[in-house]
Order: sequence, then structure tokens, then C-alpha cells
Amino acid sequence: MPAFKILKEKVEEGIVILTVQGFLDAHTFEELEKTINDLFDGSVYRLAVDLSGLDYISSAGAGVFIGAIGTAQENDGNIILMRPSPNVKEVFDLLGLSQIFTFKETRDEAVKALR
Amino acid sequence: MGESLKDRLVVTNDTKYLIVVRDFVSRMIRQSRVTREDENKIILAVDEAVTNIIEHGYDQGVDGTIELEIESDPGQFKVVVRDSGRVFNPESVPNPDMKEHVKAGRKKGLGLFLMRQIMDEVRYRYKDGVQNELTLVKYTK
Repeated sequence: MPAFKILKEKVEEGIVILTVQGFLDAHTFEELEKTINDLFDGSVYRLAVDLSGLDYISSAGAGVFIGAIGTAQENDGNIILMRPSPNVKEVFDLLGLSQIFTFKETRDEAVKALR
Repeated sequence: MGESLKDRLVVTNDTKYLIVVRDFVSRMIRQSRVTREDENKIILAVDEAVTNIIEHGYDQGVDGTIELEIESDPGQFKVVVRDSGRVFNPESVPNPDMKEHVKAGRKKGLGLFLMRQIMDEVRYRYKDGVQNELTLVKYTK
């Protein structure tokens, strides 16, 4: 199994769901950062990120979302996080990010929140 | 199970070894009295300590080593992280204001905050001319 994998799906014009799987740490975060920056370069600022397949996240991984949410919101978009495992959610809680990011349980809820 | 144990691991300063570090910590935790609830958090705290050394301890392209020594007894789970990189005293770093941190889009600088949130003790010692030594302790029952 690869240590980290990103799947990208365009659900409608301007809205993309990213599914991240594996370990998001200081070794892998740049791949996600590049994917998000490429979307921003293509004027896609409304992103839902499915975290259900993510086994582990460190502050380097959370930093990708911290670095990106401002740019998304400045461009009338947002980053919605979906279905983190308890271990992953705990890291957002420890960092005090759970009040700053919006979490949704389903894909429909996430897409609706981005429209 | 849960009695005294001690082991060490040495890795070079490359993020590809973070997974090895996490596996080592996990293996030690599972032989200790640390609860499953604390397992992920302690692994995270050690990952953050090692990541900080990899990213800030050594000049780019310079090979360095990071030594982890884990000692567990019925009262505590102790991780000592040693490196011979740049002198860095974490005690001089304040905790971030997270709202400001996000507002400014700062992607880094959260590792130490996490270590302090998770561990019962975060102690730093510099041995003159030799190495940085960071000790992380979680009390166990």
C-alpha cells in the first residue's frame, strides 16, 4: 500500500472533492499542497476533502489546510473537511482547528455547504 | 506486559524515516501501560519532535542522525530524542494563537504546541558541544 494517495473528483463546475488516504505527514504533505495549489491555479476554490481513508495526520499535514483555507475563502470558496477518523479528528481538536474548519459527515452535505 | 522496558532507534534526518519512527513508538507503547486512547497522541508528539529536527536541526543536504531512546516503567513512558544539529531551545517558543495562525496562513510552527498539549513533561537540555536532548514524558497508571 502506498504511504499516501490523493484522488480528485470534479462534482460540478468549481467544486472538487479530494479523497486523501494513508499518512499525511512531513514526508507527504507537499503532494497535497501541490494538488490544492494546482486547483487554485485553475480557479477552483471550493474543495471538500474526504479524510475517511486517512490513517494519520501530523501538524505538517494540518498545515496544508491552514495554509489553503485563507486563499480559498478570499476567492469566495472554502475547504470543507469530511469524515475524519477519531484519531485524525483528535489532531484537529488538539490544534484548536475544529472550531475554525467546517466538518461534514456526508458528501452531499459537503457539496451543499460549498454551493 | 507493562513492566520496565527500554529500546533505542537511530534514523537519519530524512522525512521518509518518520514512518519507521512511528512504528517504533507504537511497538513500545503496546508493550507499556499507555492506554490505547493515548497511543496516537504520543506517536504524534514524537513525530513532531523528529520532524522539527529534520526540518530545522541540520542544514539542507547535511546528513545527521536522530536518536530515540524509549524507557517505559509502570509510572511513565519516556522518550528521549537526541540530535547533534543546530542548538534549539523549545522553551523559548511561545504557544501560537491559532486564530491568528490560520489568518496568517502559517503552515508551520505547531509541533511544539502539540507536544506540550499531549505530554505531561517536555524538557530540553543542551549538552555543550555534543547534542540537543529533548525529553518527552507521559505519566501512566
